[in-house]
Amino acid sequence: MRSDDVLLCHVLVIGSGGAGVRAAIEASQYGETLLVSKTIAGKGGCTTMAEGGYNAVLRTADSCDIHFEDTMKGGARLNDRDLVQILVKEAPERMNDLLKWGAVFDVTTECEVAQRPFGGQRFPRTCYAGDRTGHEMMMTLIDRLDSTGVGVHNEITIIDLLKDGDTVCGAAALDRKGELVLIKADSTVIATGGGTKVYDISTNSSSGTGDGYAIGYRAGAELIDMEQVQFHPTGAVYPYDARGRLVTEAVRGEGGVLKNSLGERFMSAYDPERMELSTRDVVARAIATEILEGRGTTHAGVYLDVTHLPRSQIETRLPVMLEQFLKFGVDIRNEPMEVAPTAHHIMGGLRITTQCETTIPGLYACGEVTGGVHGANRLGGNALADTQVFGKRAGEAAGKAGKKTVCIDDAQVDTIRSTVDNYMKGDTNPSHVIRSLQTAMWEGAGIFRTAPDLEKTLGIISHLSTIRLKAASPENLAECCIVRNMLLTASLIVRGALLRKESRGAHVRKDVTQAWDPSSSPYRHTYLSDRREGIETGVWE
Amino acid sequence: MKDITVRVFRFDPENDEKPHFQTYSASVSDGARVLHALHAIHNEHDPTLSYRYCCGSGQCGSCAVRVNGEPVLACMEEARDGMTVEPLDLPIVKDLVVDMGPYLDSLHALVPAPEFRMPTPDEVEEIKPLRSCIECLACVSACPALKVIDFAGPTAMRQELRLQLDPRDQQDRVTEAVGEGLFTCTSCQACWKVCPKDIQLPGKAIEKLRALANKKGLTLPRHQDVAQLVKETGRSVVRTETSFLEQIPEVLEPYGEVKGTVGFFVGCMYNQRLPQTALDAMEVLRRNGIRVIIPKEQVCCGSPLIRTGQVDFLDTLKRRNIDAFVFRNIDTVLTMCAGCGSTLKHDYKTPFKVMDINEVLTKYGIEPPARLPLKATYHDPCHLLRGQGIKNQPRELITQVVDLIEMPAICCGSGGGVKSGVPDEAAALGEKRREEIKKTGADIVISSCPFCEYHIRDHSDIPVKNVTTVLLEGYREKDRKAKEQKPC
Repeated sequence: MRSDDVLLCHVLVIGSGGAGVRAAIEASQYGETLLVSKTIAGKGGCTTMAEGGYNAVLRTADSCDIHFEDTMKGGARLNDRDLVQILVKEAPERMNDLLKWGAVFDVTTECEVAQRPFGGQRFPRTCYAGDRTGHEMMMTLIDRLDSTGVGVHNEITIIDLLKDGDTVCGAAALDRKGELVLIKADSTVIATGGGTKVYDISTNSSSGTGDGYAIGYRAGAELIDMEQVQFHPTGAVYPYDARGRLVTEAVRGEGGVLKNSLGERFMSAYDPERMELSTRDVVARAIATEILEGRGTTHAGVYLDVTHLPRSQIETRLPVMLEQFLKFGVDIRNEPMEVAPTAHHIMGGLRITTQCETTIPGLYACGEVTGGVHGANRLGGNALADTQVFGKRAGEAAGKAGKKTVCIDDAQVDTIRSTVDNYMKGDTNPSHVIRSLQTAMWEGAGIFRTAPDLEKTLGIISHLSTIRLKAASPENLAECCIVRNMLLTASLIVRGALLRKESRGAHVRKDVTQAWDPSSSPYRHTYLSDRREGIETGVWE
Repeated sequence: MKDITVRVFRFDPENDEKPHFQTYSASVSDGARVLHALHAIHNEHDPTLSYRYCCGSGQCGSCAVRVNGEPVLACMEEARDGMTVEPLDLPIVKDLVVDMGPYLDSLHALVPAPEFRMPTPDEVEEIKPLRSCIECLACVSACPALKVIDFAGPTAMRQELRLQLDPRDQQDRVTEAVGEGLFTCTSCQACWKVCPKDIQLPGKAIEKLRALANKKGLTLPRHQDVAQLVKETGRSVVRTETSFLEQIPEVLEPYGEVKGTVGFFVGCMYNQRLPQTALDAMEVLRRNGIRVIIPKEQVCCGSPLIRTGQVDFLDTLKRRNIDAFVFRNIDTVLTMCAGCGSTLKHDYKTPFKVMDINEVLTKYGIEPPARLPLKATYHDPCHLLRGQGIKNQPRELITQVVDLIEMPAICCGSGGGVKSGVPDEAAALGEKRREEIKKTGADIVISSCPFCEYHIRDHSDIPVKNVTTVLLEGYREKDRKAKEQKPC
């Protein structure tokens, strides 16, 4: 519904990946719901690209306690315990929703959902649909979304949240032509996914630009653990433009082995027990170390080899990998892949309660944009489960929240309008700023970090933030807003990294020597908001 | 890094009267994809260029465009110097961005049945290939049928079968698909050939739905008549004159040295409707050293039944045809009907090799014919070009006798049972061929498929001839000239 050029709804969901669509489906039971996507719902986001799987406890030999403990251990015990309890308990229920709605997962001869081993888990609990699991989920979710009354607005870019006093009351957006669109909502759910596009080498889709962290921060919400960026161990290394493209963990789950240029299965030196199926932080560091110490391939990667597996297994379980590498002239049935770490997932994000409430009224969040679920390192297969478990919770909480008598603040809208209009008068091509940012982040805030490098990176980001971005036409305005969000997200990552003076999970500070392991760490979450920043202390029970 | 030239379609419907092409020089890395060339243009030359993309790894289906006319995913197709990039053949929003929304919205969603039952492993295996569709709409762009008739399109049919096969869906998707134009597909296979996920839409979706429709008694009456005719006569068309098989001995010896021996599978159309064309082909084979063995007990290959989903009688036909050649110890069977050739190659398991006549003639090489003072255009039969991957061989033969002017390879409308079942659509597609033929300014149209030849005759202002007929005319001209030169 439109009123004076303002769209009105009960629940506004921002983002159309797995979490956003799940939230919208749930919220639609409680009142008029709008889903706004800067892409085409079902195509954007990273869920549709997720290959490996969805972790859920489905067998009697497995248990939620083991899943909980695996997740905590994998997350270097930085996870929020309550959120993890919910994740492991509700992941199977949400899997059942997907099955009910028609998801086509691989099944066993007993007609049970098939599961495979993934890194850092003591039970093979990763459910899958070949190596296109996320795509299967998105197809199912979009099917379901179509049968609800949710109003879907595609290719509209949310640029800021609107506030009435302290309360979030909707959002401002730009449509494809660069026209400002205002949306008023009783509850707003941020489900914008991650932001590793701030790095030069990243697995993310074009939508992984960190918009949710940035708009949440600007609205006053608090974020935790933004320094915790997962570098997926296995990204493609060539050709140049394909660098960083995800090579799914399922390759190792199916039995793929890592070798350096000397032909050594080097994981035995880093984690002899779990080998290739160690947690991602460990494997990524191992690969990075091999390359840094001169045992990498000519393309600066290591070998990931499945040639010893039956061809039929590769064809049926890893068809997307097979197809993608074939496109670049590598037949993975006959020759090894070359891989290196790639920025993949931000474990940190908006601080949420178990009901997905952020720290500001009227604003909810779910999926990768939130922090706490995955601690300092996410287990493969837990992200897809996260989208469904917390997507549903966010939609439900946002839907159940009452009607609000809120007003759009004209002064705020004027400010937004003038920020946007200024881009028409800028002088610098935004894509050049992105390139500088990505290079700086990869070099200064990557796998191995030091305070001086981080300070230098923060300096570069600060400088880039002063550049006046130029929109070549009104249609390019959204692009400028997104670059602004990328700069802010990058600065949050670096600030978090400076705050955490320890190595933990994915975050490695080479300039800090520490006498503790994750279970005895004196530190808890780092936190950042426009009001305060710091690191919580105290050993967790 | 390397510099490449890219020609890009530009159009802003709100401000431009008509589209235009703009040529850019883009600097890209080795191995760059089309998408990276577009990025280079957008980032370094013209930020107003609009194009859509998202995952960059072939998984989301946002970035499909046409490169040199062929729908591809921009993120997976290698960028090449001199390429032309255009939007898909869908309503244009701006430049390379098309309006995908209405089509995506039209795809049906699963309606959960009251009783939940998990699909069995067999059901999952059946559904999975249909599930890898990323809805990039390349197939919708390429489908000729939906441009002339109300047809939901290839991927909509894929979705219907996917739902029909799923025990969790409660609707009758077969009847729904029939209502959405299941029988309008000409089985031209353009959709399959452009599918980035290689989903064999005509064979694995449309023909299967048609077979399910057949079980429900929804097969079109005209198609039922054809099936009846095949059962009664072994032939899918009625004989209008003395058939080819009635006019020819079982073995045809070549005029000179024997270069090779083949069995000949004539097919219903050349046998019953266009026997003279088949006789012309025999002359060309004899002249070029090919011994031809022609079993008289051969019958219809079954293609008209497979394409229309009437598969009950199929095994009998296959058995009779295979036996006819096996009994004579034939190791290579020659087809000249593109439909029969494609069927024998893909729907049969034959103990012998199957080759199209264009393959045989180019393999052994032909005696050069005289050049005829004609300009010709060539119509690629769908079941030859896409069904058998035969593109260059007929051109190699044609250019030895006449000048060739190319036209786009688009279905003429004669296949998939459409000519008999949905004649208006076949005629509409035929008329589109007429326009393309006219544009070439050619004197004759050459093809290599009896269905195409027979159909295009009604939709062309110039004569339609088979490749071998034109070759034979070249030989006759050569003989005539030789005779003239001989002193009396």
